Amino acid sequence: MWLELALILIVFLGVVILGSSRLGTMIQLFAAQSLVLSATPWLVHPGKHAVVLAVGTVVIKVLLMPNLLFWAMRHVSIRREVQPLIGYGKTLLLGGFLIGAAFLISSRMDLPVRETSNLLVPCAFSVIMIGFLLLVSRFKAITQVVGYLVMENGIFLFALLLLDKTPLLVEMGILLDIFVGVLVMGIVINHINQEFGSASTVNLTNLRD
Amino acid sequence: MELFLLTGFPVLMAAAVFFLRQDGIRKIILFFTGFVHLFVTISFWHRPRDVQFNPFLGFDALGQLVLNLVSVLFFVIAIYLIGYLKEKRKRSNGIFLGCLLCLLSSMTLVTMSRHMGLLWIAIASTTLLSAPLINYFRKPQSIEATWKYLLISSLGIALGLLGTLFLAISATPVKTIFLADILDHAPLLSPSWLKLSAIFLLVGYGTKMGLAPMHTWKPDAYGEAPPPVGALMSGAITACAFLAVFRVAQICFHAGLQEFISPLFILLGILSMAIAAVFIMGQKDLNRMLGYSSVEHMGILALGIGLGGGAVWASLFHAVNNAFAKALIFLVSGNLYQGFRSKKIENIQGVIHRFPATGIFLVLGFIVIIGFPPFGIFYSELLILREAIVTQHYWVVFLYFLFLSVLFFGYSRIVLGMALGRPPDNVPVEIKKETFFMIAPLVILLVVLFFSGVFVPGPFYDLLDGAAALLGGR
Repeated sequence: MWLELALILIVFLGVVILGSSRLGTMIQLFAAQSLVLSATPWLVHPGKHAVVLAVGTVVIKVLLMPNLLFWAMRHVSIRREVQPLIGYGKTLLLGGFLIGAAFLISSRMDLPVRETSNLLVPCAFSVIMIGFLLLVSRFKAITQVVGYLVMENGIFLFALLLLDKTPLLVEMGILLDIFVGVLVMGIVINHINQEFGSASTVNLTNLRD
Repeated sequence: MELFLLTGFPVLMAAAVFFLRQDGIRKIILFFTGFVHLFVTISFWHRPRDVQFNPFLGFDALGQLVLNLVSVLFFVIAIYLIGYLKEKRKRSNGIFLGCLLCLLSSMTLVTMSRHMGLLWIAIASTTLLSAPLINYFRKPQSIEATWKYLLISSLGIALGLLGTLFLAISATPVKTIFLADILDHAPLLSPSWLKLSAIFLLVGYGTKMGLAPMHTWKPDAYGEAPPPVGALMSGAITACAFLAVFRVAQICFHAGLQEFISPLFILLGILSMAIAAVFIMGQKDLNRMLGYSSVEHMGILALGIGLGGGAVWASLFHAVNNAFAKALIFLVSGNLYQGFRSKKIENIQGVIHRFPATGIFLVLGFIVIIGFPPFGIFYSELLILREAIVTQHYWVVFLYFLFLSVLFFGYSRIVLGMALGRPPDNVPVEIKKETFFMIAPLVILLVVLFFSGVFVPGPFYDLLDGAAALLGGR
């Protein structure tokens, strides 16, 4: 029961991120989504493994990453996404459509592993697709990073299916890699701003054939 | 001990480079690390081919082949950097050299990982560590290239992670995703999930390798990165990504899904060659041209894997020769940039007159990369063609011929014009001499190319055979 609640909350937060235009709100919503996410390993498969994973998620995704993104945001002094590629209304509509598609696809796939909840796979796919949509439909570098992170959250959900199988070492490595990735992106955002005066990737169009 | 020297030691030295302030000491450390790495790598030549350090790390023939390639390239580029970094003394090189050394460690990890999750981690870290290297000049263009590289590669890597998870689900009866276990119990894998996993892994690692249509970062990144970094990326990092793609093919081969995966490889290969052929015509920037050339050669590699049989061997042979040849041309382009202060092809004319040694290497590198006999690339391209004819993929033969001839025309127009054309009148004020550190790496690479392509020594031949046997090659 609690697991289903958490899963639906995660998808719901993803949709809210999709519809929000303020960068600060987006980052906070992402932190909230990650906080809910950190509880899911315990709900799926209680044990020592789940605790370590939860602590890792809280430290990296709830504390470090949002702070890093806020730091980048302060440096580049932008507050909201101007003129997304696809309008907010349309993005939300498309997001709803993608969630529907995720549920439809998941219902067609039979899993060789025992599922804890039959909501897990569709929710994971929904969050991945929401993240992807965010990544491709926005221009601000920070928004793109948030989109990438939301996508990673979806992949994390999917990985819960395999919680009792994959070694902890690998999972922590994956978390760390994602963190370093965001760190590097944050630094590059800063460079973009220094050179172009705004962290909008609209400016990045010099290189083409 | 060897394990530490290959993976831990470069990271340790990266820390040292970061904290020691003198540029001289930094360069010595860089050279020394490259030397130690190469020495340890060569020491494996005389030992049994399959080495297992622990469950996660070990070698098979393919891993060793790529490790040798990485190690030689890194050593050569370290020598080149000694001279190159003298040029740009304005800024501290600490982060640059630190990332470079860590990159060596993570590339080694790619070649050694025997666990698909660890492989993913290693591939992801090569992406992250190479991003600061591309951004070395911190110009608007290089930042743009870095951002595109980071975003597209990260997306590819996220898909790769998803593919790895799908693989784990398909491997539920096996309980682990250690490569050896998966290969041993390949028939137990659930086929539908394995297919899904293979597609995601192919797209994910293919992005890293630069196969079309996921190649869009490549011309930008290669165009804006410092030439030694371009050499390392087009030679070593793509070889690591190729290894990952090869593993995917290997798993599918053992699971009996060849029928499913081969057309995908052939499609990606032909598409990459087509894209390269279209964009190489009328290319105005030397390094971007090299980027498209890399897309072409990655396409040939994928095509070789897709055709199977003898083409697998040819593909591996091609991978090695292409890596060294690309590095050679990239280092030549570095020399040209130092001499002409431009990457635009129209500004670089009459190289033979201005810089005789560099000019000769430019033409030689071009001869190798375009597939002239007697060099290795000619032989591997011919073998792939033969396999395509033998397996009766006639439309592949047609397109392969078509694109290769278009590319041949495109390259010759650009490179011969650069080498033999008339030097531009507006001569830059500073005409520098070619120094030892600019030429020595080129000589080494040419010698290596000779031994990897023309006169192939026995141990290397065995290594190629062993690696090809992993995919049922001859």
